[in-house]
Amino acid sequence: MTLSQALRFIDLRARMALRADASTMYLGYVWWVLEPLLFVAIFYLVFGIILESGRADFLMFLIVGKLPFQWFSGGVNSSSNSIVGAKAIISQVNITKALLPLSKVQESTYRQMAVFSLMFFLLISDGYLPSLHWLWVIPLFLVQYLVIGFLAMICASLVCAARDFAKVIQLFVVGMMFASGIFWDVRSLDPVVQSMVLTYNPIALLIDSYRQVLMFDRVPDVARLLNLTLITGALAAVVFLLMRRANSWLTLRAIG
Amino acid sequence: MPKRLQVKLENVSFRYPTMGSFWAKREQDVIHDVSLEINAADKLGVIGLNGAGKSTLLQILGGIVSPSRGRVIRHPGVSTSLLALGVGFSPDLNGSDNAIMSAVLQGMTEREARNLLPAIQEFSELGDAMNQPVRTYSAGMRSRLAFSAAMHIDVDLILVDEVLAVGDARFREKARAAMLEKLGGDQTVVMVSHSTDQIADICDKAIWLHQGRIEVSGDVDNVLATFQQACVSNESDSHRGLSSGV
Repeated sequence: MTLSQALRFIDLRARMALRADASTMYLGYVWWVLEPLLFVAIFYLVFGIILESGRADFLMFLIVGKLPFQWFSGGVNSSSNSIVGAKAIISQVNITKALLPLSKVQESTYRQMAVFSLMFFLLISDGYLPSLHWLWVIPLFLVQYLVIGFLAMICASLVCAARDFAKVIQLFVVGMMFASGIFWDVRSLDPVVQSMVLTYNPIALLIDSYRQVLMFDRVPDVARLLNLTLITGALAAVVFLLMRRANSWLTLRAIG
Repeated sequence: MPKRLQVKLENVSFRYPTMGSFWAKREQDVIHDVSLEINAADKLGVIGLNGAGKSTLLQILGGIVSPSRGRVIRHPGVSTSLLALGVGFSPDLNGSDNAIMSAVLQGMTEREARNLLPAIQEFSELGDAMNQPVRTYSAGMRSRLAFSAAMHIDVDLILVDEVLAVGDARFREKARAAMLEKLGGDQTVVMVSHSTDQIADICDKAIWLHQGRIEVSGDVDNVLATFQQACVSNESDSHRGLSSGV
């Protein structure tokens, strides 16, 4: 399979899955924006009203944290079973297994485009007017795609190795929800802890960066983002190549 | 002029890891020291009893699994399709999308695949069911879709695993005729079947696979005759054994 065939396959499989998914529900594509809105509503009720966050801008702060996180959690969770769930295809053709989680990431990216449009609409409605800093969203989006793609390949391979990992991955995603500053501000932490969180938790860094550019009209932490891109890019390439080497092993684990 | 080599197996063995709990893991030999060559336009039949390793051999030829030992030499650029019932379709996608995906996986563009759809729909006789998810299909409908898609997608090497048990008697006859036409001429085929008649219809060479080893290979008529003879003598042996035991 050439690179362009692989990219076409990833995209086609993602689009077909989205259509199939929407056709099974009465509200179809409406769920793309309804689900994250409901999540935000629940979080707002718990952390904003019941636990009284104290921030005047808490609703927007929550929206700009939770909606990008939704992409991460949806992409990683759905890609975990992408290889073991594609027995039909992999028992028929010799396909590079990494394409299966990557097509799940692409699927969640299409959903996320609608979610981000909703996020921009809500921000503007609340008086956050677009500035040039908003253009930073484009590289942030690409870096987040890279991070999710990298984790998706690892998670899909782990679940292939042992189905038990699916449980661990679900727990990991829940843990990340609490550890990534969705309903608390990473900048309110002690400077040493803050630096550690922003260095070792890429999702916390990305969420903070989205907030800096969209809500506070500031430039994000470019040095850390560049580091994250280079390290994740290199690791993703290594994982992709390892998955190619282990292609037959992954097939046997998935169809066995 | 020698025919172009498509795939060659050199002393290939395969062990299939049996999945179980981590501690109960054991491995089972399926293919032992098999060597064979498949050249362009060859039509090779593979016969053998259940569990002889026939389907695994096709998976090795298709590159779906790699051998545990030995070498698989593949001519660069040779496209391969494994036609087997019950595999290849995503249950949540509708018939059309599954057919398109099958074609794209064989290297076609989405547009080329879409152009094939009317012919696949007509041959399969699935009508509007093409727009329904495949999980709602009966086994017969799935088979018809798989067969129709495979008959319309061109690949260099077709690996066929027991597919003529398709649909009702009328469709089976139509499928048989289509298969004879598709697999004739220059098409390279490796075909697994329990039906020696089907192998005799389509193949000119054959191998008899027994417990993962090639028992006999060569001209299709000789191999089939040897296999049938062995089956008959086995049956009478077991019959004698049963009688003497009573």
